[in-house]
Amino acid sequence: MGGTEVRVRLWLAVPALAVVTIFFVIPYLNLALISFYEPSHRAAYIREFTLANYRGTVLDRFTWQVVWHTVWIGAVTTAVTLVLGYPLSYKLSRASSRMKGLLMMLVISPLLVGVLIRTYGWMIILADTGLVNQLVQALHGPELPLMYNDLGVLIGLVHVYVPFMVLSLAGSLQAVDPDLERASRSLGAGAWRTFWRVTWPLSLPGVVSGVVLVFVLAESSYVIPSLLGGFTVLTVPILVIRTITELFNWPAGSAFALLFFAIILGLVWAFLEVMRRPLQRLQ
Amino acid sequence: MKLRIAVTLIYAFLLAPIVIVVLAAFNGGSYLTFPPQGLSLRWFDSFFHSRPFTRSFLFSVELATVATVLATLIGSGAALYVARSRSRLLNLVQVLMIAPLPVPGILTGIALLLFFYATGFATKGWPPMIIGHALICLPYVFLVVSAVLVGLDPSLEEAARNLGAGPFTAFRRVTLPIVKGGIISGAIFAFITSFDEFNISLLLSGVGTVPLPIQLFDFLRFSFDPTAAVVGTISIAMALVVVLATERLVGLESLYWGAR
Repeated sequence: MGGTEVRVRLWLAVPALAVVTIFFVIPYLNLALISFYEPSHRAAYIREFTLANYRGTVLDRFTWQVVWHTVWIGAVTTAVTLVLGYPLSYKLSRASSRMKGLLMMLVISPLLVGVLIRTYGWMIILADTGLVNQLVQALHGPELPLMYNDLGVLIGLVHVYVPFMVLSLAGSLQAVDPDLERASRSLGAGAWRTFWRVTWPLSLPGVVSGVVLVFVLAESSYVIPSLLGGFTVLTVPILVIRTITELFNWPAGSAFALLFFAIILGLVWAFLEVMRRPLQRLQ
Repeated sequence: MKLRIAVTLIYAFLLAPIVIVVLAAFNGGSYLTFPPQGLSLRWFDSFFHSRPFTRSFLFSVELATVATVLATLIGSGAALYVARSRSRLLNLVQVLMIAPLPVPGILTGIALLLFFYATGFATKGWPPMIIGHALICLPYVFLVVSAVLVGLDPSLEEAARNLGAGPFTAFRRVTLPIVKGGIISGAIFAFITSFDEFNISLLLSGVGTVPLPIQLFDFLRFSFDPTAAVVGTISIAMALVVVLATERLVGLESLYWGAR
């Protein structure tokens, strides 16, 4: 291949790289910069360097309550998603190739229906006059508060992120040789023992990537907590959007958003550190 | 056996809200009851007579079309470059192309809003929306087209060159027909992504440029009216077409497990 051809090929990537650099990398740098600017009532911000936005966020007790609550919601969502996604992925990876296509379609199709529409489906099911409560009332039960609280938010989040967990797990489980499980069983290990000693350790890479993916996505979700949580559930993304679009305090909003993103990355890093040894044992 | 029942229940959980939305759209009553209050198209009628909904539906289609064309053109180009190049910058290019995917969409939306403000151009409306949506669609096109290119044998194009075809002809007659399926399904994914995108639109949509998800969000905050279910049913129908088309063009499995 000649040098000119290589250069021609580089031009293929230039438009995409330009778009990502100008409209992604630079805006993020700009966001970081503005988080150090002085807020103002008359303009979007004043170009004077200050640490007050970060100091204000870190020293505010209310901020930490919301951060803690958001992390808790994300952690529960991730755990439940793993418990539901694992059997699904296991069956998927052991299905015949004809069935696999069909099952994959069942997992992927919810992904293609917008988050808002799926959330609306849950609103119909969980509302005070919704399907579940109609059923409970027909049986003369009490009215159950299923929505506009943490429970509703968790149901909505788990539903949206199970497919992501399945996609992460399926690849790993696919690689676990069924003969290993059979060997373990024939050597006298029970089904549970085989699972914990053979299948689970071998599927750890998929578990780790699924957990990280779902946790990060759930932490940054805005639509589901604001619709299924009503005005009672407050998460960091909701608070950030409020600071930016209602209070118009861009510097404080940027600082809070970046700080929270850093906390999430820190938690992900800690999790990966904990998982490093079990993962190394695989090699 | 117990596992099978559990798995069936989880599939039911995944599909329940989607089925419910479709039922609600065709139900006669103003909220869904069991037994349903008979088949009716009155909510479709109310959707097509609602100016805000029809306007934002048309806007969403226009926006998704423009964003898809842009993202597909530049994303496929980048994928072709990455598949062929042995440059040292390759990793950097790959990271940059995928970067918009794992970061929180809401944060990208805020970053874009502040960026457009700083440039002094319009912060809301058509141009910011197109750029934001194209940016969000780009990683999907790049990933899907790259997945198809991994399975492509470079010696095919070399053979064409050895037989006297120019680089452009070799590409058009050999490479393009093979990757066409990947480009089409990348475009389909981009369209759906843009059509459903919420976070970017929340921050960048302005008067007259309200896409369907934002319209729906504002509506749902104060109302349960099944007109929303009609919006959902139309989106679900579109998603169904997409899944079937992708399955026929490239096979859904290959999207995930790579070309095998």
